This record gives sequence, C-alpha cells and structure tokens, in this order.
Amino acid sequence: MNKPIMDDTTGHDTSALALAIRNLDFWYGSNHALKDISLDFPARQVTGMIGPSGCGKSTLLRILNRMYDLYPGQRATGEVLFDGRNILSPSLDVNVLRSRIGMVFQKPTPFPMSIYDNIAFGVRLHERLSRTDMDQRVEGVLRRVALWNEVKDRLGASAAALSGGQQQRLCIARTIATRPEIILLDEPTSALDPISTARIEELLDELKQEFSIAIVTHNLQQAARCADRVAFFYMGELVEVDTADKMFTAPHAKRTQDYITGRFG
Amino acid sequence: MMSAPQSQSIDAGGWQRGGAMAVRRRLVERFVSLLCNVATVVVLFLLFSILWTLVTQGAGGLTLPTFVHSTASPGSGGGLANAIIGSCEQTGLAALIGTPLGMMAGIYLSEFGQDGRIVMLVRFVSDMLLSVPSILVGLFIYLIIVEPAGHFSGMAGTLALAVLFIPIVVRTTEDMLRLVPRAMREAAYALGAPGWRVILSVCLRSARGGIMTGILLALARISGETAPLLFTSLGNLNWSTNLNEPMASLPVTIYQYAGSAYDDWVQMAWTGALLITVAVLATNILARWWLTRNGSAQ
Repeated sequence: MNKPIMDDTTGHDTSALALAIRNLDFWYGSNHALKDISLDFPARQVTGMIGPSGCGKSTLLRILNRMYDLYPGQRATGEVLFDGRNILSPSLDVNVLRSRIGMVFQKPTPFPMSIYDNIAFGVRLHERLSRTDMDQRVEGVLRRVALWNEVKDRLGASAAALSGGQQQRLCIARTIATRPEIILLDEPTSALDPISTARIEELLDELKQEFSIAIVTHNLQQAARCADRVAFFYMGELVEVDTADKMFTAPHAKRTQDYITGRFG
Repeated sequence: MMSAPQSQSIDAGGWQRGGAMAVRRRLVERFVSLLCNVATVVVLFLLFSILWTLVTQGAGGLTLPTFVHSTASPGSGGGLANAIIGSCEQTGLAALIGTPLGMMAGIYLSEFGQDGRIVMLVRFVSDMLLSVPSILVGLFIYLIIVEPAGHFSGMAGTLALAVLFIPIVVRTTEDMLRLVPRAMREAAYALGAPGWRVILSVCLRSARGGIMTGILLALARISGETAPLLFTSLGNLNWSTNLNEPMASLPVTIYQYAGSAYDDWVQMAWTGALLITVAVLATNILARWWLTRNGSAQ
C-alpha cells in the first residue's frame, strides 16, 4: 500500500508501513506531553500502546487523526508520515484524513439516530451512494462486526437501545464504513463486560487482515493477546517498542519490566 | 449446656450502639419528612384551589358566542374571539421570530464560545433580559417602534413578546448543548464531519428534547404576559388580524375586564383566564407526551 517511508529503527520490513512517526513533540499549552517520539505502525498489524495513566499514549493516538485540532492551545511538532505526506501539515484536509484514519473511543458513542443512520452518517460525508449501494455498505459492515443478525430487523430503531457491547461494535462498524486504512482504538473495551470484550478482541484479529490497527489499552493481557507489536510509554517518552512476545517475556528496559510485572502503574 | 453461653455471646448489646443519639436521629428524620409532606400538600392545595376557582368561575362563559363574537359593550353579549385570535397571532409570531434567533445565539454561546469576551457579554445580556421586568420590555418597544410609527400595533406587541421569548431559548439551547457528551462530538469529528455537520446532525439532535421543552416553557411564559402588550398592541375592541393595527389579546382583555363594574365583563375575564390556563396546561402535557414518545425512541 505504501512506499518505504524511512529507515526503520527496529529493523523490520519497511515496505509495509502504514504510518510512521518521526521526532514528534506535543504540548498541552506549556505542558510537554510527548517528547521526541519516533514509532512505526506496520501495515495490517495491531500495534498496542501501553503505559501508566498520563504517559501520553492516548495523546499520541489523538495526534494521528488530528483530534487535538479541536482544542486551542494544543500543538504538535515533528512528522507523522502517512501516504507520502506529513499529516501535521496545516494545509492537510483533516476531514479527508479522518475518513482515512478512523477512531473508536473508550465509551460507545452511538449518535442519537437509527442504527442504519449511525453507519450512513459517516459514509454520506464522503461519498454519494445510491440507496441500494448504501444498504449494501451498511449490511456489509454490520456483518463484518457480527452485528447483522442481531439488528437486521430493527435497522430503523434507535441505536441507544443496543447493549454496551453492541453499541461498541456499531461504533467500529461506523468507523470501517468510511473505508479507512488505519483504525485507532482508544481503550475500546474498558467500559465493556468480559464477554463483550472478548468479542471485540476477536473482531480486531479479523479486521487486521484489511486494516492497520493502533490500540491504546490499560489492560496488559489485552495487549499481549491482540497486539503484534507493543510500545511502552512512560512520562511522555517512548521507552521501548518490540513484538508482543518479546515485550512481555524479555523487555529490555527496567521501567518496562517494572510496569509489566505490576510494580507501578 | 452449650447453648446458654453461646446465646449470651451473640447478644452482646451491639444494637444499643448510639443510644440517645440514635433516638434523636430517628426523631429528626421523622420531623423533616413530615415537613416535606406538609409543604407538598400546601403547594398542591394552592395550585388546585386556583384551578378550581378558574373552572367554577370561568366555565360558565365557555359558550359558542364567546369563541365567535368579538368583545362588545357591557350587556350586549360580546365574546372573546378577537382576543383569542390576537393572542394566538402575537404569541405564535413571537415564537416564530424568537425560536431561530434564540437557538442560533444559544448555539453560538455553546459551540463557538472560544473568544471569552464576546461570549461573556452575550451571555450576560441574555441573562439580564431573562430577569428584566416585562413592563420595561413593553416600554422599550414603545419607544423604538410605537412612538416613531405614531400608533400601537400587533407587530409591536409581537416584538415585545419575542424579546421576552428569546433569552429563555438562548439559555436552554446553550445548557442542553453543553450536556452533549464531548465523546459524542469527537466521535462525529473522527468520522471526518465538518463542524456545522457535527452541530446540526449530532449535537442538536441529541439536545432536541431539552430545547423543545425550553421553547414550550417560553411559549407558556409569553402567552400570559400582559404588561409588555399594554404599551405596544394596546388592545382592540374589534376583530383584527392586521399587524399594523392595535390588536386585542387575552391577557390585556382580562386586565381591562376583571376590574370593570359590569358583571358580564367580569365573567368574560374569568373565562379568558381559564382559556389561557388550559392552553398552557395543554401545551405542557402535549410537550411531555411528545418528549416521552421521542425520548423512548432515542
């Protein structure tokens, strides 16, 4: 999908990067929240981001779709390379960017409209589809997230009537309906029960066939289960990034080791 | 032989904990809930006695002539038709003018409130208007419209009511929009929606129940206003729907008739009061019904 962006510091195949962060710094006002981050996101893999509260992992995620733009006083410097462009560039069309890099949030956030319209809303922003094409798109993504059988008879009903787990799957369906290349997930299961969580995790495994995924999680087991590669953040710095296997069995840095063995965080 | 010492050790006197303090706590509890119940009964009694008086005094005038004849001189059997149509026209138009203006100002305060100073100013002015005595609004419209035009008019009355209507809608729109969770806005932005889309399709939709309630409350408030109409639409003894002429209204007619010396006029005043009350009550009940119906579908 993407041409090589830059030499990769961890030595894996650079021809398959979905996105690359280079020397990224981020400020909330005068608070230096991220310090000189460089990190690669391999295509069609799940990159997990872990670390204690306030370490900057969610902040990093919200840079990747320019969500921080909504709030004055927040600014980023450095480069985030995606499809040959630095997405931090002010001239970039953020609405197009956000259709290509989708995001799923911690709490399910169904819009106050029908199940069908929840999905069609995002699609209508970027494409003009005929009624049948739209019907197909809606059915396709609902099948994809294994929600179709549960809602096919009540597509016109309010999305708020769904259970928490169903709502979160609807939010994922809504996100993939705009056909993004990357999906960002910010603690997508922290508000869900264990069974719903397991279904979302299965879904992620299935979705990475097609999408590149970045997931922030507080749940280390989840990172170990879902992520191909894991990045550990601490106090605004990227301490270590490696495959999930190595990260959880033989981390290099002492801080990583302390965190994953539960000594702090 | 074994059971006696066991039961002794179970009953160690733990339930006496607190002693006098616990007794006092229970007494205070009973006293306070009694006070609350008495207060509720008093309020409900006042409310129902008002309603009862209105119904017993006003129901006698609920005849067909009341709705088809305009006001007439004492003893000649007039009705309230001109006042009813005047009230409907003025409050309806005031709501038509005030709803979009008020909602847009509320949206501005809630969504574009980045520049602190302008927002503070607009909010301050709007809140001041909310509590300004309504007769001052009437005087204000008198000065800027009635006096330059040289005559009273239904339009002036409409504008005075709109001035009272707008700040209520501004306030509720802003408050309701602020209740929309940040996560929901962000989710809409994250799909690549431009700001206006997020506000129209997501935030306003999510807040529509509360905003609708605010609009209906504002409608109820202005439909009973008398003072702002005295200096603006004045009143009209004849049937008129022309906004360029003085226009009758129920509150002003009640005000003029209730203090008069003629029994049939006083009777008309009671009937008018009953009509306004029933209209406001019906609006509220309708709104609640509409909201619960749409609320459950939300």
